[in-house]
Amino acid sequence: MTPRSGMLDVVGRVLYPAMLLGSVWILLRGHNAPGGGFIGGMVAVAATAALAVADGTASARRRMLLEPLRLAAAGVLLAILSGLPALLAGKPFLTHLWFDVPLGAGSLALSTVYVFDLGVWATVWGALGGLCLQVIGLDERTEVAVSGANGGVTPVERERRETRA
Amino acid sequence: MSAATVSRLGWLALVPASLCAGAGALFAAGRLPLLITLPWVPAAGAELTLHVDALALLFVLLITGIGTFVFVYAAGYSADDPGRRRLFALLLVFMVAMIGCVTADNLLALFAFWELTSVVSFLLVGHHFDTESARKSAQQALLVTGGGGLALLAGLVLLAETGGSYSLVALLQSAPGWIDDPRVTPALACIFIGTFTKSAQFPFMFWLPNAMSAPTPASAYLHSATMVKLGVYLLCRLHPAFGSLLLWQEVLIVVGGFTSVVGMLLTLRERDLKRILAWSTASALGTITLLIGIPGDGAATATAALLLAHAMYKAPLFFVAGNIDHATGTRRIDDLSALAPLMPFTAVAALLAAVSMAGMPLSFGFIAKDLVSLAKAEGSVYPWVGYSSLVVSAISVAVAGVAAIRVFWHRGGLAPGPDVREGSVALWLPPLLLAGLGVVLGPLPHLLDPLIGAAAEAMRPRLEYAGLRFSLEDGAALGAVSAAALAGVVVFLNWDRLHRLLERVSWLDRFSPLSGYQALLRGIPATAAVSTRLFQHGGLSGYTAILIGAVVSAVGLAWTVARPPLPAPGAWPDLAVIGASALLVMVAISVCVVRDSFLLLLVSGFAGLGSAIVFLFLGAPDLAFTQFAVEVAFVAVTAAILLRLRRAGPTGPAPRPSALRALLALGSGAAVAAVLLAAVEGPANRLLSGFFSAQSVPQAQGRNVVNVIIVDFRALDTLGEIAVVGASLLAALPLLRLAAGLARRDGGRR
Repeated sequence: MTPRSGMLDVVGRVLYPAMLLGSVWILLRGHNAPGGGFIGGMVAVAATAALAVADGTASARRRMLLEPLRLAAAGVLLAILSGLPALLAGKPFLTHLWFDVPLGAGSLALSTVYVFDLGVWATVWGALGGLCLQVIGLDERTEVAVSGANGGVTPVERERRETRA
Repeated sequence: MSAATVSRLGWLALVPASLCAGAGALFAAGRLPLLITLPWVPAAGAELTLHVDALALLFVLLITGIGTFVFVYAAGYSADDPGRRRLFALLLVFMVAMIGCVTADNLLALFAFWELTSVVSFLLVGHHFDTESARKSAQQALLVTGGGGLALLAGLVLLAETGGSYSLVALLQSAPGWIDDPRVTPALACIFIGTFTKSAQFPFMFWLPNAMSAPTPASAYLHSATMVKLGVYLLCRLHPAFGSLLLWQEVLIVVGGFTSVVGMLLTLRERDLKRILAWSTASALGTITLLIGIPGDGAATATAALLLAHAMYKAPLFFVAGNIDHATGTRRIDDLSALAPLMPFTAVAALLAAVSMAGMPLSFGFIAKDLVSLAKAEGSVYPWVGYSSLVVSAISVAVAGVAAIRVFWHRGGLAPGPDVREGSVALWLPPLLLAGLGVVLGPLPHLLDPLIGAAAEAMRPRLEYAGLRFSLEDGAALGAVSAAALAGVVVFLNWDRLHRLLERVSWLDRFSPLSGYQALLRGIPATAAVSTRLFQHGGLSGYTAILIGAVVSAVGLAWTVARPPLPAPGAWPDLAVIGASALLVMVAISVCVVRDSFLLLLVSGFAGLGSAIVFLFLGAPDLAFTQFAVEVAFVAVTAAILLRLRRAGPTGPAPRPSALRALLALGSGAAVAAVLLAAVEGPANRLLSGFFSAQSVPQAQGRNVVNVIIVDFRALDTLGEIAVVGASLLAALPLLRLAAGLARRDGGRR
């Protein structure tokens, strides 16, 4: 399986971290430039799917931030929590608040809106990533079982025989 | 058999009793007509307006007055029925719905109450839901009256749109202004269907005898005294507007007259006492319908009098039938005889009610019958209506005889069992009192003058009320009564012979509206089977073809009708956009050539890539990002599914290209292009985008308007959406795990 391990190296060592980094970057710049939680989350999903194809779903699942279902649930929770400070301030739920944190010369604008967007990002990655893993894994498990049962015949080989017949 | 106990729920009779007293006091104080406005949905500006005039009050008095007797009777009837709480609850709901329906001023409120009574009727007919026949009858009653209710809704809406108001009072006042509108005819047709189904008129009358599986208090209350009169009520209510229309008169006279004859004839085909009474109820409702169709002051007076008289004799007769059932366990008239010595009070009540039903002198039934024949003579109605009334009167005399004399005094059938005896006081007092009232009012009809007169005037403004009077000097009335009585006695004596004769007429069953209804019901699963075979065949390519074909024809139709202007060709776009478009064209061509499914998937992935590039350079980078990411995940997941499908077994050869498919593909491309071109040219509403562009930075401190909308302006929507996204994983996981388990097992076996 040399070609596959070569692809594994490329995807696992380079592409996956790069895509995740890009995903976070897209998430963070979202408020003022193209991007945001949905898109960032989707890029992370694509990274997970690519890794699952290259290195198997177990590995891709391990390299997600949390177990997919937990990640999705945590995302929804974060989004809800981001709306609560507004209630304390006497404003309607999900009214976002802004804080200026002075940092030396300039200042850093922090807001509950980022927490909300982080929640969106986590939900999308967790839920859709989890779905991708599950569907891709559907095939993977049969592959193992079939090759075991047929005495080491790979699925590609089997398929070739079938088409010829 | 009979229980000597009375349920404590009978105290609920105080509710209708006090309402009845209140309504009576209202009338005596001369406070009519009354408009009561209650806020309903203040935010939507909807309010519930109750309009109580004399006609409504007549019905309210009927509903609450008969209701009082029914509640008392039900306390005795259902003393040992475990479902009595449900029965009383439903009776109360029904009473409120009825009062609401006859007092509602808004047409839609009237409709809502109307349907509520149908639903309660369904629940009461199905009270003994552990027997199949009760369930079937309940379903029948609901389908017929509920379906008629839908027709009524259509008619009322059409009427309101024609007349420009949903208020009954306003509509009736402005009637001369819109009565010539062409929409009045279809509106009337729909209203007729609604009222005829509710009031068991031909051809919808068959549900009423089957509804007799309801407990007797409900039969007496809903299916004789009040609910079935709702249709008649609405006709009375609309009479001032439509009374002079020829269509109105013809339809009501023909349908009502026909129903009154057919209903009476059909009593002869029954052996069950309650079903006999049910057919005669349909017949009486037919007579009332006929009267509403007859123009003239006398007809309006007769309508109001007959409404009252019918409730005062038919409800006690139902009570009597219920008592007999309660004591002997049967309602078959063949198995009943010589009950009078054992059930003396019930026997007397039956006799009193029968006198009124037969229209014998000294009863209120006589007064009503006299008014009816006068009205028929006054209005120029068809001759057959006049002859038929002799048939109707004769058979109603016979029916009265069967209910009061045959089962109580006749000796010949089976002797009653040893344990047959009179039930509790709650069982025999209501019929006795109510039937007694119907007889006492006979010689003293002028006591009812104010009520009947005012109600008739509500039906027919500027009516000259002649007053009710009792006299035996009127030769015509006495002659008619004696002729009817004589013929009735003949029918009574030959009841069994006539019954056998009519039962042998089998085409009555084969071509009856009931068999039509049953054929309709059988047709539903048959139609479903055909449509399932045609449209739900399980072939994906067939589904896709239907879907695309429908979209293409819809767009094509819209395009030919609207003929939208096409945008003028603009400047050439960027080189990048041209390149991406070229890529898309190449993808489209290769999709037609490639046959291998994996290759096809890969190629269509390039289509997504191409459109992402187009988005990127046309100023929608957000969309481009999303498109890229979705495309990657889609290709990966679909590849996995394809692999799995291939391994599950040979999928057969790929479908061959065909002219039809090519046509569909070209058509769908043309349709999408057409929609896009039309959308680009159409005027866009910039109100929202202007607001968001202007407010994004000052209100939400963000320059990316798309994201600001998602996370700030519409954050609550987004929260709902991500909750759905999370829940979709929750829903899909068990299924996918199950599939994975199956796949593992399959693989192991191979």
